[in-house]
Amino acid sequence: MEATALLTLQAILSGVLVGGVYGILSIGLSLAFGVMRIVNFAHGELVMYGMYAGVLASRNFGIDPLAILPFSFLLTAGVGIVLYQFVFRHFVGHATLQQLLAAIGCALVLQMIAQIIFGADARTATSAFAGQYVVFGPFFVAKVQIVAFAVAAAATLAVELLLRLSTWGKAVRAVADDPEAAEVVGINSQYINIGAFALACGLAGLAGSVLVSYFPTAPSVGFSLMPIIIIATTIGGLGSIGGTFLGGICCGIIQQVTAMTWNSALQDVPLYALLLLFIAVRPTGFFGVRSE
Amino acid sequence: MTVPAATSSVTSSRSQGVPYRLVASYVLPVAIIAVLPLLPFVNNYIIAATVRALIFISLGQAWNIVAGIGGQLSLGHGVFLGLGCYTTGILFNRYGIPPWIGGWVGVVISSAVALVMGSLTLRMRGVFFALATVAVSLALVQIALHFVDLTGGGDGLALKFFGNSLWAMQSRLPGPFLYASLAFVLAYYWITRWVLASDFGLAMQAVRDDEVAAAAAGVPVFRTKVLGFMLSAAMTALAAVLYMQFYMAIDPEAAFGLSQAIQLQLPALLGGLGTAFGPIIGGAVMIFLSEVTNWGSTKVGINGLDILVYGLMLLAVILHAPKGIVGVIFRNAFAGRAH
Repeated sequence: MEATALLTLQAILSGVLVGGVYGILSIGLSLAFGVMRIVNFAHGELVMYGMYAGVLASRNFGIDPLAILPFSFLLTAGVGIVLYQFVFRHFVGHATLQQLLAAIGCALVLQMIAQIIFGADARTATSAFAGQYVVFGPFFVAKVQIVAFAVAAAATLAVELLLRLSTWGKAVRAVADDPEAAEVVGINSQYINIGAFALACGLAGLAGSVLVSYFPTAPSVGFSLMPIIIIATTIGGLGSIGGTFLGGICCGIIQQVTAMTWNSALQDVPLYALLLLFIAVRPTGFFGVRSE
Repeated sequence: MTVPAATSSVTSSRSQGVPYRLVASYVLPVAIIAVLPLLPFVNNYIIAATVRALIFISLGQAWNIVAGIGGQLSLGHGVFLGLGCYTTGILFNRYGIPPWIGGWVGVVISSAVALVMGSLTLRMRGVFFALATVAVSLALVQIALHFVDLTGGGDGLALKFFGNSLWAMQSRLPGPFLYASLAFVLAYYWITRWVLASDFGLAMQAVRDDEVAAAAAGVPVFRTKVLGFMLSAAMTALAAVLYMQFYMAIDPEAAFGLSQAIQLQLPALLGGLGTAFGPIIGGAVMIFLSEVTNWGSTKVGINGLDILVYGLMLLAVILHAPKGIVGVIFRNAFAGRAH
């Protein structure tokens, strides 16, 4: 009994740490939906490019993946601007069938380009914190996970503050609320949308470089991360940055507790059930914006 | 046996007051496919590729019902393909139940799953249904990987082969599947035509075009969406029998994976969403292009080029020809008539 309780507490602890990274993985998706009603299914692929940036930095230059976060951010933000100009520009304002399919098309193309460049095999990066563990009381956690969680929490806080306090952030929220009214008061909603989309995509790359410090990458990793990103975003609330971060933490806890107490092969199944439940009962999640 | 009957039914129903040109455009392709094995230059590879195209046309036609006519974006139609394949496969391998019966069990299970999924998620508009279908398909990947005894896990489930047999729907050569899949394509084409013309299909299209207006006009919106989803799921599961008997194996990724789901969507998207003829053209184009790129990618030694081509096709169609190939042809035809 005592051992089970300890194990569960340990699972919750590692769930929170993993969940913080799920949170940073997801907030870009949430932001793009909140501002432009774009569900970017290619988000996971941008995360994957951020992960490869970390792998290349670590393998070829011996730089810690966590040290290249600004570079990954700019890289995928650039990719995001290209995607916006060619594809998503046409779909701002409504998450239509065509928009979702176009995003899937982008995802397939980005994934296959990565496979052609990097090959299909899994690659790993080496973080300076790898293999170190912190022990306190009966619990132990990998140091790299603590660092990753701290970076994720800091980045989320920074985005939240940027949107709440800066003039640009206020303009973004104005466009999200009502693009026409924002235009009337002199905000160029096209520029705001490009900026917000670049920020959303840049966050994906940044999150990828955080994740790769303890998780291997492969061209297919984007697709396999998408479910957890979607679930975290839906539970926390599509469009809410802080809510999405909390949604990620919920996902992490549920996943780790399931893995520890039931079956690690089926660790995501309760999450899928939870997603269906949320869609049926409360599709806006805990803190989400109304869809239409 | 199937084909002459199907051909004559096409002729009789189309020949009343329909231009000769139209009759020819329906009968000729069917006749060409029917006599394909007799032609001198045709080998088993060409027949197998044709069967693949016909199978994906059938599956695309089924997806077209929910997405094209109903406007609900099911991204996880692999769920029903997989349930159909696994049900027939497991029933046959473990209990010796032939696919003639197992297939219908798969249809019932798929319809039930569609009913539950639809009831939970179709009250919402927009993205949530799409997200839920993705979630269910990925959950099924994990479940199929986990229950190794039943599904064979990651290695997949291979049908036991007992030699050529109609009872077990097995054949070493692709010839018999040509006629079976041709019958499926014809049947699904007429089902789609019937749905498009029926009151039920009109209700689905009204819901697709404007939910609020449809509800105001007295269309039971939620029920229409769920029934459309169930019909589409049942048609997918039935065509899955063909898929399973032809490929003889299924694995979790091929059944429930997202790249499979995209192959189920491309025929209708390429050809023309919501039209009965679209998936036929789109499926043929999709398989032709994938055969060409597979041949090309083995030449240059790069894997996965076909997926890249699928992605580019998807983007090109959505950005430049949202009504698909059929839409482009008809626009030009009408433009020509107007001048």
